[in-house]
Amino acid sequence: MKRIALATTLFLLAPAPAYCQSLEDLKNDGKNTDNVLTYGMGYHQNRYSKLKEINKQTVKRLVPVWNVSLASNYGEQGQPFVYDGVMYVTNAEYTVAIDIATGKQKWRTPVGWDPATPRVVCCGVSNKGPAIYNGKLFRGTLDAYIVALDMQTGKQIWKEKAADWKEGFSITGAPQIANGVLITGMSGAEFGTRLFLDGWDPDTGKHLWRHYTVPAPGEKGYDTWPPGDAYLRGGGSTWITGSYDPDLDLLYWGTGNAGPWNPATRPGDNLYTASLLAIKPKTGEMVWYYQFTPNDMYDWDANWEMILGDLNVNGQKRKVVMQLNRNGFLYVLDRVNGKLLAANPFEKVNWATHVDMATGRPIESEISKKVRAGEKIELWPSQWGAKNWPHAAFNPETGLLYANTMHNMRYYKFVPVGEYKPGQRYQGIENTPAPRQDDLAIGHVDAIDPMTGKQKWRAPTPNIPNYSAMLATAGGLLFTGKQTGEFVALDIDNGKTLWQFQTGSGINAQPITFTHKGRQYVAIQSGLGGVNQARMAEDLKNVPRGGSVWAFALMPE
Amino acid sequence: MKRLAILGCALAVFGANAAAQSFTPEQIKKGAGIFAQNCSPCHGAHMADPQGGFDLRKFPHDEKNRFVTSVTQGKNSMPPWGDLFKPDDIDALWAYVMAGEKQ
Repeated sequence: MKRIALATTLFLLAPAPAYCQSLEDLKNDGKNTDNVLTYGMGYHQNRYSKLKEINKQTVKRLVPVWNVSLASNYGEQGQPFVYDGVMYVTNAEYTVAIDIATGKQKWRTPVGWDPATPRVVCCGVSNKGPAIYNGKLFRGTLDAYIVALDMQTGKQIWKEKAADWKEGFSITGAPQIANGVLITGMSGAEFGTRLFLDGWDPDTGKHLWRHYTVPAPGEKGYDTWPPGDAYLRGGGSTWITGSYDPDLDLLYWGTGNAGPWNPATRPGDNLYTASLLAIKPKTGEMVWYYQFTPNDMYDWDANWEMILGDLNVNGQKRKVVMQLNRNGFLYVLDRVNGKLLAANPFEKVNWATHVDMATGRPIESEISKKVRAGEKIELWPSQWGAKNWPHAAFNPETGLLYANTMHNMRYYKFVPVGEYKPGQRYQGIENTPAPRQDDLAIGHVDAIDPMTGKQKWRAPTPNIPNYSAMLATAGGLLFTGKQTGEFVALDIDNGKTLWQFQTGSGINAQPITFTHKGRQYVAIQSGLGGVNQARMAEDLKNVPRGGSVWAFALMPE
Repeated sequence: MKRLAILGCALAVFGANAAAQSFTPEQIKKGAGIFAQNCSPCHGAHMADPQGGFDLRKFPHDEKNRFVTSVTQGKNSMPPWGDLFKPDDIDALWAYVMAGEKQ
């Protein structure tokens, strides 16, 4: 009898491991290389893998294993996830599951939204990826819903509305799972909105908490806004997935630009826009913050990946959080308490002279004074940033960051904002092109020392900057992609291209690596789209649209 | 006399395009406002930096129906605006696109 009881228990438990990703699994992502369970290949968002079957010597044998169409022309920005021999891929129109052994689609679930929704999507109709946990896949939709799907069948388990797209809200970012809570961000700071983070119960979709990034009257930080309804239009979007330190139980989530871009109607620091928020995932409570750009007026989103690492700072090992900020400075903070450890420019910056290490504030230059006075200025970096969202990688072995950066200038001038109308642009800016200013390439692949901001090496991308995330491996390689379609492997020591493959459309997505039956794979979504596709339409006119995902492995010798 | 003839000729050419389309300054101003807020992010400030959007400076003057249809129903990657803009608004946008940036 006892034996039967035991057998029943085992039977009941047995199916669980096959389709259940525990919090422990998520925390240890990267240790079991068969899976990719988190955004950024680890809660630390290092985008680094210890795998080295594919390395400097063997990469010449890297060949495609399969390609699966994603049946969408909007553009691919996603990071694939991998669990138990299945790859999960998202874009704006579909969620797709693919059998890794055969490259066959297992299921494909459409995402419906009103065709007018792209009116409120500032920078490309896309999706950056899912979160997976406990047998469910979670994703945001362009029209600001959160959906949970059954990972085995693709069937919808629950769907909840996070916000009304007609008021200017949208979701393109990937959710996060931390301490058992599903956390989602939101876009919309170009449309006169007040942004937030949401916490959900992954099992039921029950809304657990909302943390507004812009405080209301009576809340801490509200005194950095003028009286009236400015805070309701204050922006502070949360459109890129935050990192998580399970030991400290802190989420590190960046916030976007203040709104409207023209700062005339919102004197003050405008907390907590253009900031890093350290958040308790269970409750949404903010433990500390650091504001990179007080009274932001250049769209200096601080949303980009928050990279967690251990760095030697003045002979002491510190737990740090690093960010290559859009504003041109590379910041290193102690991630326990938010203390600023370094803030150095990694590209040409003319809007500020430096960051005051005592106060943590950037010192605005004469250029910034001129634009505040109503003049048209030449802005370095351009409003697109010294780095945009394409995520950097961090190699804990070398202590270096690897990033696709930009070297651009644009003319910049404020114009009256006009009347607020729900779901319509609320910016007050004229941002116009400028002729090339120097002989430097307009983009680079850079290897950067986090504490100094200085490059160890630069590999120029002369006429079109890369808009793909970076992947670093212990095989001495960097993987990234070009908007002209080439998926490339670079030498991590000098940026030299060792291998490339034309994927058939532009790459503006996020490479991953993993193992399947003992063999190392690299995968990337291809499909021209995103904001730079619009900006550089003329240069990219001969790059066809069309989303797909590619998997590569070494051809046997 | 010669100068007058040239001027007359220029007027005649201009008249051929604008014969069926006369816009009031108020209409153009209204269209400029709608354009700056909603359209310039893709079609460029003052239509001068179209980036990924259609270069509206090249929009054919005799295809107003096509313009109205594209704005109302959307076209390629442009979303539909029909539920947001009233016919008056779209007329004002047409006025701005045709005549708003003429020097």
